Order: sequence, then C-alpha cells, then structure tokens
Amino acid sequence: MTGLGDRLLGLGLLVLAVAYGWVAQQWPEPFGGAETVGPETFPTILSVVLVAGSIYLMVKPDPDAQWPLGKTTLELAVSLVVLVVYAMLLEPLGFVISTTLAVGTLSWRMGAPPRRAFTTGLVSAVVVFVLFNYGLSLNLPAGPLEVN
Amino acid sequence: METLGFLMDGFAVALTPYNLTFALFGAFAGTLIGCLPGLGPANGVAILIPLAFALGLPPETAMILLTSVYAGAMYGGRISSILLNIPGDEPAMMTCLDGYPMARNGRAADALAISAIASFSGGLIGTIGLIMLAPMLAKFALSFGPAEYFALFLLAFATLGGITGKSPMKTVIAATLGIMISTVGIDISTGTQRYTFGVLELYEGIDFILAIVGLFAISELFFFVESRMGGGREKMTVGKLTLTFKELVSTIPTQLRGGVLGFISGVLPGAGASLGSFISYTLEKQVLGKKGNFGEGDIRGVVAPEAGNNGASSGALVPMLTLGVPGSGTTAVLLAMLISLNITPGPLMFTQHADIVWGVIAALLIGNVLLLLLNIPLIGFFVRLLSVPPMYLLPIVTMVAFVGIYSISNSAFDLYFMVAFGAVGYFLRKLDIPVVPIILGLLLGPEMEKNLGHALVLSDGDWSGLWASTLAKSFWLVAGLSLVLPYVVGPVLRRRMNAAIKESPASD
Repeated sequence: MTGLGDRLLGLGLLVLAVAYGWVAQQWPEPFGGAETVGPETFPTILSVVLVAGSIYLMVKPDPDAQWPLGKTTLELAVSLVVLVVYAMLLEPLGFVISTTLAVGTLSWRMGAPPRRAFTTGLVSAVVVFVLFNYGLSLNLPAGPLEVN
Repeated sequence: METLGFLMDGFAVALTPYNLTFALFGAFAGTLIGCLPGLGPANGVAILIPLAFALGLPPETAMILLTSVYAGAMYGGRISSILLNIPGDEPAMMTCLDGYPMARNGRAADALAISAIASFSGGLIGTIGLIMLAPMLAKFALSFGPAEYFALFLLAFATLGGITGKSPMKTVIAATLGIMISTVGIDISTGTQRYTFGVLELYEGIDFILAIVGLFAISELFFFVESRMGGGREKMTVGKLTLTFKELVSTIPTQLRGGVLGFISGVLPGAGASLGSFISYTLEKQVLGKKGNFGEGDIRGVVAPEAGNNGASSGALVPMLTLGVPGSGTTAVLLAMLISLNITPGPLMFTQHADIVWGVIAALLIGNVLLLLLNIPLIGFFVRLLSVPPMYLLPIVTMVAFVGIYSISNSAFDLYFMVAFGAVGYFLRKLDIPVVPIILGLLLGPEMEKNLGHALVLSDGDWSGLWASTLAKSFWLVAGLSLVLPYVVGPVLRRRMNAAIKESPASD
C-alpha cells in the first residue's frame, strides 16, 4: 500500500512533461511572424496539464498493483524478446519459418507441449501464408523458401 | 421521410453480394472474438483494421465489415458468461448473474437462445433509435463552431472514464499522453517539425493503427503470459432446447425496456454498454421484484442485460457518427478506421458520405438478422471453440496482428513500434492508466489543435472566446462535472455494482 508504482510513474511523467514542454519552446518562429497559435501553443498546454497530473499522482498515489515476480517476469521478458526477434527475422527468414518459430515459442512458453506448440505454429503459418499470398494477393516475405 | 429514402439507399449499398459477404464474415468473426475471453470487441476490431486497410477494401465495405464485427462481438460476449461464468467482455458481466445459474440448472441451451433473441431485439431497438436520432443530432451539430468543438472534445475525454471510473486523473493523464503522441510529426499549419529528432519515419507522425494494435492486442498477450491462463477450460454441454413460445412472449416487455434503456445509456457520454446492461438488469429487478427469482436463473435476468448491452452498442455509434466523438473503446477504434480511410467523421459526413453512413446503418440491421440466424444453429460450434486453449489461440492472434501491420507498410520498423506500444501498454495498464483515452487522444489530438487554432483566430487571440457561447459553456460545465462526480458518486455506484454481483450465490 505504498503507492510506489504511481509515484515512480508520476516522476517519469513529470520529467517527460517538462522535457516535452521545453523542446516546444526551442522551435524557431514560423515564417510570417508569430501568431496567437503557433506550433508550440498546443504542446505547451499539454505539458502544463501533464505536469499537473504527474504531481497529483506523486502526491495522491493509488495503492500498488500486484507486480509479477521472479519466474513470471522472466516469462514476460522472453515473450517480449520473441516478439522483437520475430519482427527482426520476418524479412530475412521469410514468413513461414519465422512465424513457426515465434508462434511455437510463444505457445510453448504459455504451457503447450513443445511438439504441439510448434506444429500449431507451422500449420497456422502455412495457412496464413497461402491465404494471404494466393487468396488475397498480399505479399508476405517468402525468405529462403522462395521458389522462383 | 427523407430518412427512409436514405435508409433504402443504405440497404442498396449493404445488400450487394460483395458487402453482404463481408457483413456475414464480420458477424461470424465478431461472435468468435466476443466469446473468447480476453479478446474483447475493441481488440478484435483493432486487429482487423490493418487487414481491412491492407486488402484495399472500399470505405463502405471496410466500415460494414468492422461494424458487423462490433455487433457480433456484443452477441458473442454472452456465450462465455452463460457457460463459464466468465464474461467474454465487460458489458457481458451482468449476464453472468442469471445466465450461469440457468446453465447450472441444465437450461444452458435456453439461456443461449433467449439471450440471442434479446440481443437481437436490443440491437434492433438501438439501431432504430440511431436512425431516428442521428440525422437530428447531425443537423444540430452543423451549428457548432471551432470553440464548441474544442469544448466537445474536452467533454469526450472527461466523460471517457465514465461515472464509475476509478481515477479521473488517470484518464486525464492518459488522454494527454495520447494527444502528445499525436503532435509528433510535421505541424500541418506551419510546417514546423515537432519531436521528430530528425528520424525520417517520424516525419509523418506516428500511425495510430500501430498504437491501437500494440496497446490492445500485444499488451493483452503479455497479460495472458503473466496470468498463465494458457490452459483450456472444461468442456461444457449445452443440452436440449426447452424454451417455450409462451416463455418467449413473456420476456417481450423486458426486452423492450432493456433495449431502450441500453440505447439511452449508449448515447450518453460516459455511460456505455457496461452501465447500460447494469441499469437494465437492476431496473428489471426493481420492476418485477418478488415475482422473479433473480440471481438463481431467472430468464428475464438474462434478457435484460443482453438487450441492454446490444442497445447500448448501437447507441454508442450515435456520437461517433454525428460528432466524430466516440464514447467507448470500440467506437474509438471504428473512428480510427474512418480517419485512416480519409473520411472526416462529424455532421458533414451525413451529407458528404451519405452512402457510407447509411450503408453502415443498414449493415447493422442486416447484421443483426444475420447474427440471430448464425447464433441459434451455430451455437454448438462457438461453444466448441470456447474450449480451444488460449495458449494456442493468443500466439496466432498476435501473429495475425503482425501480418496486418506488416502488410500495410511492408516495413519492420512499424513492427518494432507496435511491440514497443505493446510493452508500454502493459506497464500503463498495470498502473491502472486506461489505454482507451490514449487512443482517443491520438485520434482527436490533431482535430483539437486545429479547432483551438481556428477558435483563437475567430476571437482575435482572446482565450475567453473558447467559452463565449452558451453551448460551449455547457460543454465545459459537463466536462468539469464529469471529472468531479466520480469522486462523489463513483464509489457508491461501484459498491452497488459489486454488491449486485456478490448477491448472486452462483458467482462466488
């Protein structure tokens, strides 16, 4: 019941708000002279609102949420890494291979037996690939499996 | 009877075989999305947006597809409420109260059938309400100036948390964050580069579709990983239909009341479908009092909330279509689709894009009929799908989100952005910062800035011009009230909702 989460968030948002507002003051005056509403007006208002909001958070934080600990944190990190690697490998490895790996790993980590997990990955990858490339003629990268 | 003529034109658009196919697909996919726990309507529509976009569907078809998904999801939410006592989406919460006891009494099939019928009549009443109210509101909204619009946007944000919302301040923070993200890119009126840091990909701003899919779909995956709900659920048997015609007739007054109440709470800013079904249920309990056995499987306890939430879902389209100001997460996502189709929502849409507006409305009517037809015979199929464990399903859904985003731009850069939004969304949701205001901020931010600029030009730089007219004043007032009221009324209402849920013996 310390509200540490909200306080940290408030602090982070305060830094963000000040930086956001400060950057807005640095823009050169637009060509044609200053008007009442320049490019910086709206961002300045937003930054003031966010400063107020973040201070409120720090002063009156809500009770903390239950944060995942230990193994769950690891699982979350693994899923995040899988998603990033999936995005990275999508083009070089092609859709089918990268999807099989990504979907397979994710469902395996979520508790499916490995073989069934990767089978699900492969089947869904092939179905979606065929559907998209031939049915809907949207080109997903084929990667090394390119035939012609 | 101008409206009727427009509606006929709308039917002409919606009934072409091409559009009808998409409506059918949408209704089917929507029911599926609705009935799978953890994959709410906003989520489902969000995942389909990039696909609709990448497929290059014509605007009216894309909108028809997404509205059918929306309507379908509202139907689907009840299935898991009744069979598993787990609401498929938030508005279906109240359906658990009597739906699950009915299923335990061996009347699952009846509960499913009657709730499909109630959903149908709720949706129908809501759509009729929409047809009558929307053109009037659109005409009225034509008189709005920039100052009124600016105040209206504020009102939309202020009411978004809803009267039952926990922390209005967090809604404000979320909305501000969303608007801040929308300022990235080249300023439209002056050409100044804002917050681009010289990164080429940021010049055009951050695509809100990325943000939507990331914040909804990807963060949902993280939540599932965290809660390890990966395993499947026990299979449910539905049993035989024993619903009698007499019983059906006896629920008609409940259906009407529920539908109308739901529609009203759908139109009102800040109420939404959850409150719609809650009010319908409580009123029904008050009206029938001791004559019913609510909480123990009363059939009217299933009918009222279902009619209510489907009425509300049509009602929620009224402010979205006429003012361009959505009142709920899902309508916000629909608005995103409209904006990315280059259609400016608001009163002018009724004249400039009459075919789309009325096509969508006609599609809602047709979709309702399709859904009723789909839901009764195919219920067994949907029930079987419920037992597909999320550990297979969610990774596939995530993959579909990747495919959709990738096929819009063919760039991996966008995918990184989406994943980043997903991770940020997870943290924000953990900290109770709602994601819907962020999306709404992203969508409405540019319009808000434009209207602020126009209003100040009209008033010669005098800031008080923003609240000069009576209409603008009242918007500001309501917006202010909606930020204060939750602190006063919110705790009471929330306690009542919780009490209502705890009262029912089956939901422990």
